[in-house]
Amino acid sequence: MANLKVDISDLNKSFGDNHVLKGIDFKVANNEVVVLIGPSGSGKSTLLRCLNRLEAPTSGKVSIDGKDISNTKTNIDQARENIGMVFQHFNLFNNLTVGQNIELAPVELGKLSKEDAAAQAKKLLATVGLEDKYDAKPQSLSGGQKQRVAIARALAMNPDIMLFDEPTSALDPEMVGDVLEVMKKLAKEGMTMVVVTHEMGFAKEMADRVVFMADGVVVEEGKPEDVFDHPQNERTKAFLDKVINV
Amino acid sequence: MKIRLKLFFALFFASLGLFAWQAPTVHAETTYTIGTDVTFPPFVYANSNNKYVGIDMELIRSIAKEEGFKVDIKPLGFNAAVQSLSSGQIDGVIAGMTITDERKQTLDFSTPYYESGIVMAVAPSSKITSLKGLKGKTVAVKTGTQGASYANSIKDKYGFKVVTFDDSDNVYNDVKTGNSAACFDDSAVLNYGVKTGLGLKVVTKPADVGQYGFAVKKGQNQKLLKMFNAGLAKLKKNGKYDQIIKKYTGKTATSKTSKSNSEDRTFLGLLRQNQQAILNGILETLKLTIVSIICATIFGILVGLLGVLPNKFARGASTTIIYIFRGLPLLVLALFIYNGIPSLTGTKIPAFVAGIITLTLNEGAYTAAFVKGGIDAVDSGQMEAARSLGLPFGKAMRKVILPQGIKIMIPSFINQFIITLKDTSILSIIGILELTQTGKIIIARNLEGFKVWAIIAVIYLLIITLLTLLSKWVERRIND
Ligand SMILES: Nc1ncnc2c1ncn2[C@@H]1O[C@H](COP(=O)(O)OP(=O)(O)O)[C@@H](O)[C@H]1O
Ligand SMILES: [Mg+2]
Repeated sequence: MANLKVDISDLNKSFGDNHVLKGIDFKVANNEVVVLIGPSGSGKSTLLRCLNRLEAPTSGKVSIDGKDISNTKTNIDQARENIGMVFQHFNLFNNLTVGQNIELAPVELGKLSKEDAAAQAKKLLATVGLEDKYDAKPQSLSGGQKQRVAIARALAMNPDIMLFDEPTSALDPEMVGDVLEVMKKLAKEGMTMVVVTHEMGFAKEMADRVVFMADGVVVEEGKPEDVFDHPQNERTKAFLDKVINV
Repeated sequence: MKIRLKLFFALFFASLGLFAWQAPTVHAETTYTIGTDVTFPPFVYANSNNKYVGIDMELIRSIAKEEGFKVDIKPLGFNAAVQSLSSGQIDGVIAGMTITDERKQTLDFSTPYYESGIVMAVAPSSKITSLKGLKGKTVAVKTGTQGASYANSIKDKYGFKVVTFDDSDNVYNDVKTGNSAACFDDSAVLNYGVKTGLGLKVVTKPADVGQYGFAVKKGQNQKLLKMFNAGLAKLKKNGKYDQIIKKYTGKTATSKTSKSNSEDRTFLGLLRQNQQAILNGILETLKLTIVSIICATIFGILVGLLGVLPNKFARGASTTIIYIFRGLPLLVLALFIYNGIPSLTGTKIPAFVAGIITLTLNEGAYTAAFVKGGIDAVDSGQMEAARSLGLPFGKAMRKVILPQGIKIMIPSFINQFIITLKDTSILSIIGILELTQTGKIIIARNLEGFKVWAIIAVIYLLIITLLTLLSKWVERRIND
């Protein structure tokens, strides 16, 4: 188990009376790409947010690289430096330019000098295909461009795991491809990734494993071809019928 | 950002320095702070140079000279003067105050220096000639005076209603405009007023005759009281006392102020005569405004930030502070701090400092509310994205949330600055000689209510315009 990146056992999360995650066991190996699917409200985002403690677990244990994220004594800021996160609504810093968005964390946290951070930002922008947007304001970008900047921003901290929460759901269809391309590139480079998405094409092509969640539990998981072509559970079947037929 | 913060604190400490500078300095000769009325001629009133004169003023100054002490005269208004005396903010009151058993409970009086009774005055055209004519009518009196208690003691018997005002000129005006049918006041005051063209007539004989005394807080400043009595006795002996009384009640008294009636009463004339007083008032208003804007802004930002911390107690404290100081009327807060607290603790708070504290708490609470609101208005995704990169809460706040929140807050800040400026006028209640109080005092002398208030109003608008322009300029600088 030495190369386990994420190790979650018996994770429970409630919002008041709403028991959202019901005893989740969830593991991710190093360099593994896991795609989380499931109906809306099943707890996918909550699970993802428990991974970097944007949500504090009600009970259970969340370890990343052997570090106990769920323990309040753990320096969570330090842990988060290695966990990149990409949000559905991009959340680019509106008061900063594209370049500043990418440079802020490495400079503020003393990882890079201003000059090095700027050089890195330009390189990252080039890898996401936006080298000419260094001085642009986020407001002037399209959704697809914003999301690619957001990915570059997360990569600037040089994380060894990336969390994606429906990164293409808020995009116009013609923008989805560009963002998925960037994600595929990352996956091929060996990045450990946990991706919540409805893009079944991406899951089939890139996922090492697909996890189907419903009502706060993991219903079924396995290789993409097994889960997609031979789902064992009725709820998985019903869900796949719905998303694939649309 | 860091430099801006430093500048902020520099200003903050500079304003603290202003407090210190305001604090009373120690003289070799003891100086006593004496409260008096804004206007109560012939006992107290401002002459055409806005210097306080009248029987009471000349008596206290002559006695001070005889006995070798100094006086600092504060025209607080009768009611505020008595309150400030009982809370220990001032050392004595001389304001044509009748010695009564009720007042003796909390004050120690000197030997009487004048005798006067209560008379009724009506408008020249009025048909009312006796108390009986008041049935169903309204009568105007001044808050806390002997005339007021007399009116209240007989109002049921004669079937009239009583309205109270804080200044004599408002009392007289109410009768002249016909809102009130009559007013009650000391005979010396009303007789003097009639002689000097007040425009009312006295229709009753003095009733409820009483004696005027100089007062200190019960058990306090006994030395001052002794000196007053000794000085008064000397003045009576050497004829100075009679001289003073004659000067203000004798035949020549009329000519003394009829001169002031021939003053230039145009807007420009009024401005010219009161130039110095108005200028001082403007300066005091500006000083109050600037210092309290700085203090309230710092206090408001701190309390507002407390309200967005990820800590239940901090948020609770912030909400409570905002709730209390936004909920209290400014007037109540000012009186509580200036008169309430000192009467409990026994320490004096200079009026200016009390005023600043009042405005800091009240305006600061409003500021805190919109600072909190501005931060809350920034999309919560911004904070999550910053934190997910490993930025600690404070850094995320400073680098991402606050710059966006401040933009949202700027219009509210400008608005609050203007409100603060306007609210300084309320501090006239604790006797700060700012623009509004200056206006009151000028009117108390010349009764030109319309023109003087118009002048004061225009001055406020001018200052507000300047403040707005300045704020907009700063706003543009920040938005660039
Ligand atoms: N911050 C929150 N406060 C209260 N309830 C929440 C919060 N976040 C999520 N929930 C609830 O948790 C459940 C799961 O939500 P979520 O994890 O967002 O589902 P999914 O991402 O699978 O659509 C939903 O019922 C949602 O209403
Ligand atoms: Mg979700």
